[in-house]
Amino acid sequence: MDFSWLADPFYQEYLLEGFVNTLWLVAVSAVGGLILAVAVAMARLKGPRPLAWFAHGFTTVMRGTPLLVQLFFFYYGVGRLLEGIPGIQDSLIWPILRDPFFYGALTFILSVGAYSGEVLRGALLSVPPGEREAGRAFGMSPFQVFFRLWLPRAVQLCLPTLTGEMILLLKSVPLVSTIALMDLLQAANIIRDETFLVYEPLMLIAGIYLAMTLVLTVVLRQVERHFPGMQPTRHRWLPIRGKEQAPCKN
Amino acid sequence: MTSSLHATPSASSTLAVEARHLVKRYGDLEVLRDVSLEVPEGSVTSIIGASGSGKSTLLRCLNLLERPNLGELAIADEAIRFDRNPQGDVVGLDRRQLQRLRAKVSMVFQQFNLWPHFTVLGNVTEAPMRVKGLSRRRANALAEHYLERVGMADKRDSYPAYLSGGQQQRVAIARALAMEPRLLLFDEPTSALDPERVSEVLSVIRGLADEGRTMVLVTHEMAFARDVSDQVVFLDRGVVGVAGTPQDVFEDSEHERCRHFVAPAVC
Repeated sequence: MDFSWLADPFYQEYLLEGFVNTLWLVAVSAVGGLILAVAVAMARLKGPRPLAWFAHGFTTVMRGTPLLVQLFFFYYGVGRLLEGIPGIQDSLIWPILRDPFFYGALTFILSVGAYSGEVLRGALLSVPPGEREAGRAFGMSPFQVFFRLWLPRAVQLCLPTLTGEMILLLKSVPLVSTIALMDLLQAANIIRDETFLVYEPLMLIAGIYLAMTLVLTVVLRQVERHFPGMQPTRHRWLPIRGKEQAPCKN
Repeated sequence: MTSSLHATPSASSTLAVEARHLVKRYGDLEVLRDVSLEVPEGSVTSIIGASGSGKSTLLRCLNLLERPNLGELAIADEAIRFDRNPQGDVVGLDRRQLQRLRAKVSMVFQQFNLWPHFTVLGNVTEAPMRVKGLSRRRANALAEHYLERVGMADKRDSYPAYLSGGQQQRVAIARALAMEPRLLLFDEPTSALDPERVSEVLSVIRGLADEGRTMVLVTHEMAFARDVSDQVVFLDRGVVGVAGTPQDVFEDSEHERCRHFVAPAVC
């Protein structure tokens, strides 16, 4: 085992840049993706029919094609098409459109939007409709009912699943090394090419990923634990309802 | 054509509810067939009847959780006329009027329908803050007052999942009262409770009746309905079979099915 390259400031800088890019990519994709997920879920549940179909089609395509293919599609396909638009290279947004980070983030946002959108749709459907009805009965607006009552309850129900989605997102990030974005894997590849050491850099970044996953798990577990109205025991997070329900209604 | 009368006080302003010729159908199934109902201000009305007679549907029409297909409804100074419209849409009843009406009519549900992600206090303050725009401080004071009223003040920071059914229903009653409504609706408030929990909820409701609140309740608690009501309505297959004082309905009724229905409570 030869880890002497770790002392090289150039390699340290690559690794740091890769680490920072990975964190940024996860953060941007998680936030953007979850917002998109809410829109996708609502479009499928409550949108006008064409919008619902569009959302369904979007989910089907995003979930039915490999992430790496999507990444290539956006970076080499869409990216090249944009390049050809006259004048775009002089525009203010070109520095963004030229950056592989943009295409990485775009791909992950769409992917998280599709997967988490379906998770959220299921969760929205499993919130007892009576809770929404109570909101309406007191004169709350549809907007208030959704953001105060329905969505928080759905998130409460699917939080553990969303946690899993976020961990999968984190571990999808190395794919961006294929579009010349400096992430941890890209840093390891450069080190390998220059030092002819294969295993040591890989072991290092695997260790960093493991550490990041552990931190993410602990943080999200705390979020789950402190979510309002959550049951304290680990396997009883579904609130006990209708415990005293009579055997027959009406 | 559908039209709506604006918020004009009805001829007899002492009526909290004035429903005329309400019809509600789901497809071919006619659940309410020409139901009229008057609820004087400050009175308690119980709606009784067999399963499927339309009790809950009638009650839910009173805060428009169900929209009648036909008829006229005047509730808490909001007058609405429903007319033939194949979709059951109510043209002329805009969302603002709907929300204004609902803010004046509170409902207590069979399944409590508390919001599990809010504490007891949060459940009670939510609607006054969001719908009536009260400050958190005022809403809290109001909530504490009504939680005290139903004997749940010590549970203000608990989540609904930690409460028994009877306690949840009492919180739901406090939530309804905190809107300071003109009219309180109870949809089988004790049907989902264990028998030993029924009395704690009924005694709260009885206390409200004694205060002179205007209430309409759908219930299977015959003895309670007889005891607490000023008016009892026996619904039979979507029409009013008998309506009158508890005496009229429980003892003097000539209506065959009504006599049969109330018989177990009378003996």
